[in-house]
Amino acid sequence: MSKYLEFSGISKAFPGVQALDNISFRAESGRVLALLGENGAGKSTLLKILSGDISPDSGSIIINGKTQVFTSPHQAIQAGVSVIYQERQIVPALSVIENIFCGDLPKTRFGMIDKRTLRRKTEEILKVFGLPIDPDEPVGRLPVAYQQMVEVMKAYRRNSDIICFDEPTAPLTDSEINVLFDIINQLKKEGKIIIYVSHRLAEIFKVTDDIVVLKDGKLVKTFKTSETNQQELIRAMVGRDVGDTYKNLKRNDKIGDVLLEVKDLCTDVLDHVSFTLRRGEVLGLAGLVGAGRTEVARAIFGADRITSGEIIFDGKKVHFKEPKDAIKAGIALCPEDRKDQGLVLFRSIRENTTMPILKKISKWIFINRQEERKVTEEAVTKFTIRTPSINKLVRELSGGNQQKVILGRWTNSLIQTKLLILDEPTKGIDVGTKAEIYQMVCDFARAGLSVIFISSELPEVINVADRIIVMHNGKITGSVLREDATEENVLSLAMLE
Amino acid sequence: MKKRSFSRIISQNRIIVMILLLLAELVVFSLLSTPNRSVAEVFSGESIFIKPKNLRNIINALPLSVFLTTGVALLMISGRLDLSTGANGTLCSMLTAFFLREGVPLIPTLLIVMVVGAFIGFINAALVNELRVAPFIGTLATSSLATGFTYLIANKKTIDLTNPILKAYGKEVVLGFFPVSALVAIIIMIIAGIVLHKTHLGRKIYLVGGNPQASMLSGINPRKVSYMLFTLCGLFSAFAGITFVARQQSANMQGISAARFQGITAAVLGGISFGGGSGGMAGAFVGLLILNTFSNGLTVIGFSPFLQNIAQGLLLIFALTLDYFQKEQSQKILK
Repeated sequence: MSKYLEFSGISKAFPGVQALDNISFRAESGRVLALLGENGAGKSTLLKILSGDISPDSGSIIINGKTQVFTSPHQAIQAGVSVIYQERQIVPALSVIENIFCGDLPKTRFGMIDKRTLRRKTEEILKVFGLPIDPDEPVGRLPVAYQQMVEVMKAYRRNSDIICFDEPTAPLTDSEINVLFDIINQLKKEGKIIIYVSHRLAEIFKVTDDIVVLKDGKLVKTFKTSETNQQELIRAMVGRDVGDTYKNLKRNDKIGDVLLEVKDLCTDVLDHVSFTLRRGEVLGLAGLVGAGRTEVARAIFGADRITSGEIIFDGKKVHFKEPKDAIKAGIALCPEDRKDQGLVLFRSIRENTTMPILKKISKWIFINRQEERKVTEEAVTKFTIRTPSINKLVRELSGGNQQKVILGRWTNSLIQTKLLILDEPTKGIDVGTKAEIYQMVCDFARAGLSVIFISSELPEVINVADRIIVMHNGKITGSVLREDATEENVLSLAMLE
Repeated sequence: MKKRSFSRIISQNRIIVMILLLLAELVVFSLLSTPNRSVAEVFSGESIFIKPKNLRNIINALPLSVFLTTGVALLMISGRLDLSTGANGTLCSMLTAFFLREGVPLIPTLLIVMVVGAFIGFINAALVNELRVAPFIGTLATSSLATGFTYLIANKKTIDLTNPILKAYGKEVVLGFFPVSALVAIIIMIIAGIVLHKTHLGRKIYLVGGNPQASMLSGINPRKVSYMLFTLCGLFSAFAGITFVARQQSANMQGISAARFQGITAAVLGGISFGGGSGGMAGAFVGLLILNTFSNGLTVIGFSPFLQNIAQGLLLIFALTLDYFQKEQSQKILK
């Protein structure tokens, strides 16, 4: 009898939301099953139930015919379940060997760690995976993709029958993604049950066999990957057609004079970066992870030290010592990492919205609560932030709504933003909200703002921006107009040596 | 399930839990301080604990702890910590008595002492912001410095306070029992509370405590906030020192150095968590009342000072446990 994993009638409620509602489906061994759904659809909750992190209100997990109740992650591991999360759970300072065997180090007769067995077993695993990794290297020094591989190897070492990947490709470059897919195929051949959670549809078609679509905690539909297409999946996920998102964008056609001129900008990472940006223009910054796109944003914003070069903004040569100066001049940055750099998670929507305009909403030193409420409500309405109250903590919002709070922070009636820098604004955001954000970007441009749009997703950057600058290794390697841009030509510029 | 709802109740009603704890303390100590530990005796006024004379003891301990808690509470909300308040305050009390004895007039003396207190705070800020020393270690270092200078100045002696105005500040009471110094301290704490909850400066303290990176990228300067709060905390330590010497009518080497953890314990008891970004001034006040009542109550029912140390350690652990439940609860909210 082949192995299988079955979810049977799983329900789970959190205060205010039914995160999962009677979910039942079955994953077979030797197949990759995709869990697909917008943010908040319930994918993560389901994974957490499978990994024993949280327990369901009702329903059960059945593995090979045996009903399992996990009350701790340890029990789930014992039962052969490994979950590889987005946030890697490695110990950076320890070696590859130690990480792989973390929690289960073989001992010698005297209770000391059996180094010889360890090394032999590690080398066996490395061979299976076919990766050029030095087992003694501290994991923190490996490239991100290999750090993730170490986690996969850990799961493999435990002999887990069920391996779950939660958005594994988010931090990976294209070539690294291929390495991951090879490994997944390998695991598949060995008869593992693989569950794959991702937002990226293209990947799902490349690597999975079955697809389960969740929406608002309910199971919408199950597909065979070979018998469906992107349009159908998106329709199932959002309940509507977003196929022609890009074509339907209402763009700005009145591009004005030059707002920003960057000349020979150098920092620790950047190497003589020069470009111009006009009023009402959307400039895309493409490139692989680590190409220096974020650093361009940070240098302009006064967050990183500039070693040489100059920036002319709004007709004046500027040198911002800190972001505060840049904000005063009319520049805004939505940083790459929403949770670490964008938001104060434990404070309310209201407090997060008014961060840069505290002085403007204050009389003398006292914050004018009415004024603050007005600005925040304006932002909530403008960006359709779904929340019962402006006093809700931002950590309780979904990723898309969190991103909208940041947008509301920078584009309200009390702040004079002329240049808006968006660093990966759609990262980890569901398809429906992504389309909303694209239109917002165009609306900003139509309102006369200049936008720098940084993204790792090629289709989005070449379709939303008016002009695309491609970076590689801290340098600009090319500039393409939207009309001329294809994924191929941008990618070849991004990988230019 | 049960455990989670328990932690939710605690985290959502932290201040109520703390007020209940304070009331529980009052009841327990009232009972335990009667000759036969009976309720009837409490009502017939035989409880030593709730005799006006003892309640006055609790009030008399207020000025010091209010000053010490206010600065530390602000710092902790901003995500920092100061262990030097006790030593700093002791140095300031010694300097006050010293300068006055040497014939420096009162106003210049107070100004110098306030500058010294604030300067020690400033050094703390510089250590934390420039050398990136953990506040714990950095403020311990300045603490040691301050103690050293105290010993140098005191030269193993007690310095008597001679200035009549300062003596009066320490001795005078309003309404027949409430010390002027406690009134001053509470007014300053209320002002700090208003600044914290109503002004853009106070908002910045919360934001920086919640996420310094995001604050910086939104035009708030976390360094500036940090410098200001450490300096302010130093200034409040100076106030504590001046108040101490005024109330004791003399300065000694021990001073208020034992109060090193008092502010932190009160703040944590009052719902300000390590890591910053949450809590408030009212909570801190309730926290310090709990702490003061606790040590007074233990003395009244005859605990030895050694046992009191143990009991206070347990109280801090209790506060940290509540803090843990609160954090756990906020983790659960995340899907």
